[in-house]
Amino acid sequence: MALRTEELMLNMGPQHPSTHGVLRLVVTLDGENIVEIQPDIGYLHSSVEKMMEYRTYLQSVALTDRGMDYLAALANEEAYLLAVETVGGIEVPRRAKYLRTIMLELQRLSSHLVWLGTFGNDIGAVTVFLYCFRERERIMDLFEQVTGGRLHHVYFRPGGVYEDLPAGWTDRVLQFCDEFLGRLEEYHELLTGNPIFLARLEGVGVLSREAAINMGACGPVARGSGVDFDVRKAFPYEVYAEMEFDVPVFPEGDCLARYKVRMEEMRQSVRIIRQAIAKLPAGEIRAKVPVNVKLPKGEAYVRTESPRGDLGIYLVSEGNDTPYRVKIRAPSFSNLYALTEAMRGGKVADVIAILGSSDIILPDVDR
Amino acid sequence: MSTNLPQNPAPSRMAPVDAAVEILDALPGGSVVLSKVEYLLNWSRASSLWPLTFGLACCAIEMMAAWAGRFDLDRMGVIPRATPRQADCMIVAGRCTIKMAPIVRRLWEQMPEPKYVISMGSCATCGGPFYYDNYSILKGIDQVVPVDVYVPGCPPRPEALIEGLLKLQEKIKAEPFLRRALASKA
Amino acid sequence: MAALAVKAWEAVAGLYAGLRVTWRALLDRKNTVMYPIQKVNVAPRWHGLLALPVDPETGSDKCIICFQCERVCPDRCIHIEAGGKGKDRVLTRFDIEMDKCCYCGLCVEVCPTEAIVFVPHYETSTYNRANLLYDLHDLRRAAPKEPIAHGVIKVRGL
Repeated sequence: MALRTEELMLNMGPQHPSTHGVLRLVVTLDGENIVEIQPDIGYLHSSVEKMMEYRTYLQSVALTDRGMDYLAALANEEAYLLAVETVGGIEVPRRAKYLRTIMLELQRLSSHLVWLGTFGNDIGAVTVFLYCFRERERIMDLFEQVTGGRLHHVYFRPGGVYEDLPAGWTDRVLQFCDEFLGRLEEYHELLTGNPIFLARLEGVGVLSREAAINMGACGPVARGSGVDFDVRKAFPYEVYAEMEFDVPVFPEGDCLARYKVRMEEMRQSVRIIRQAIAKLPAGEIRAKVPVNVKLPKGEAYVRTESPRGDLGIYLVSEGNDTPYRVKIRAPSFSNLYALTEAMRGGKVADVIAILGSSDIILPDVDR
Repeated sequence: MSTNLPQNPAPSRMAPVDAAVEILDALPGGSVVLSKVEYLLNWSRASSLWPLTFGLACCAIEMMAAWAGRFDLDRMGVIPRATPRQADCMIVAGRCTIKMAPIVRRLWEQMPEPKYVISMGSCATCGGPFYYDNYSILKGIDQVVPVDVYVPGCPPRPEALIEGLLKLQEKIKAEPFLRRALASKA
Repeated sequence: MAALAVKAWEAVAGLYAGLRVTWRALLDRKNTVMYPIQKVNVAPRWHGLLALPVDPETGSDKCIICFQCERVCPDRCIHIEAGGKGKDRVLTRFDIEMDKCCYCGLCVEVCPTEAIVFVPHYETSTYNRANLLYDLHDLRRAAPKEPIAHGVIKVRGL
């Protein structure tokens, strides 16, 4: 005889050990299968765009690295300052561009390590969390020696960077890069061959290429679905045009493809750091810009490749020392939407795997 | 020292313990036994604080780093619990929006007594960098839950969080855990 | 049948590779720092507490009351008041709300005389939020306001 079943509406609430931040998912379940999924965001809305209208361009730098994606603080500062420099016509010296590139790639490594650690933690591979944070502590020590902060740096300024590198820092970074590649092989040994890991991720949360493009997915989520687009290659900024690196693209579109994209991106980041340190020129690190810089009237939209995807800033200036409007195009917002579409029809346990593989971060979604 | 313990505990469940405490207090030399038992109880409570991980924003990453290998919080007996029913303290790490505030309060109410709250970071202490010109961030979570220890910083180092936990341990060890019934009567 | 055997062998090999990594990590050097017995040396540029160190020659701090730090602070947590006129201006009030401060370092950057600096203290937890308002006296002392916790106290009897 057939069992009479009803659909259950389950609230994966804002406080959950697995959601990366305060995300609420209201899922309608038929047994274990998901019928309908509705994300409820806004639990971390910090009104960053409005606050920036009341802060000068220098003060906003302290705001960008906290209020938006905090795991890639320097990427946010970079996007904002690129917009400021584009509107103001401020020329950044060569050494500053190289320093910015090195810091951005180190930040990408650190952000991907947090992703890997929390992803493994959610899937059940708890050891990877501890190993990733061990590597990350070394990166944070390197950051602390230059910028003074472990998580929030406030290192970039309009026109360059704040302070030059301390003595011996580049040698320490190169030493770290050599050891890190060995550790990356360890992560592959732990995870990529593991049958449980593969069973959990292979074929799960498939996002087809057309769906990824239509829904505006960007970054590693799109590259894991076969979309060959990286802002660093398509619209190069800083010194990416002079660096040789590959952009990993995998066509399958499932969680395993996104995982492989990010692991390969870590290797390419190490490659970029080594090249940038080898080519680091001497010179000025900051253009002469007043503390309360007044930008001329104008507007600009700049795109950068943050570790999460395509981060864009649209800046409108009316000639004062505060912007008229700042609009942030957040990568996690579109990635979240694209992946909730991919979650339909799956099982409840797959929701966690898909959320983990998408590497969203809630202040980026909510701003 | 101010305490978070309810000043008038529900009489039905605690009546035997309160009666035993009163009898012991009245006996000659009983107060020595009482204080030793209380010391042991406070010591065991403080050495095994299980916090509810309430990581909201950036401070959550430093909290995770405090649990990772370098600054191991497991050495202090601190194990993160995901559910409020099994937690005895709540580390609110990060900025709390007005939309999130009722949920913080509800989770705090779901925790069993005795419970403590550590407010980690500038945003949880007073709103921090999001104090001025902001319409959505709560200016300090002590507007919705009573806070025991404030750990300032943006974000505080994992060592600063461990120091905050040590301060909470000191506070717990000095609490009149068994004697509160006597204190409320006197 | 052979396919099943191959799958089983791959599964066992995958698990064995992972266990080998953890076995090596078990025998490896640990990176745990036993805080508070051992402490990590913070970098010289670490953004710790703010302070107005006292210059040993003049016996006072180096602040020239230019209000630059107050103007540049993004959290508006510095409050300065000065009395007197012209050359006889003296600081009457220099409050920093350390609970609002986001430790960004913009005030240290714009100060023309390096009067306000970072000191590498980070142990500032407190029971009472009012302790986090640092006035001129606390900033000159350049030390956290409450003593650092020692983790063990002796409970006195009744």
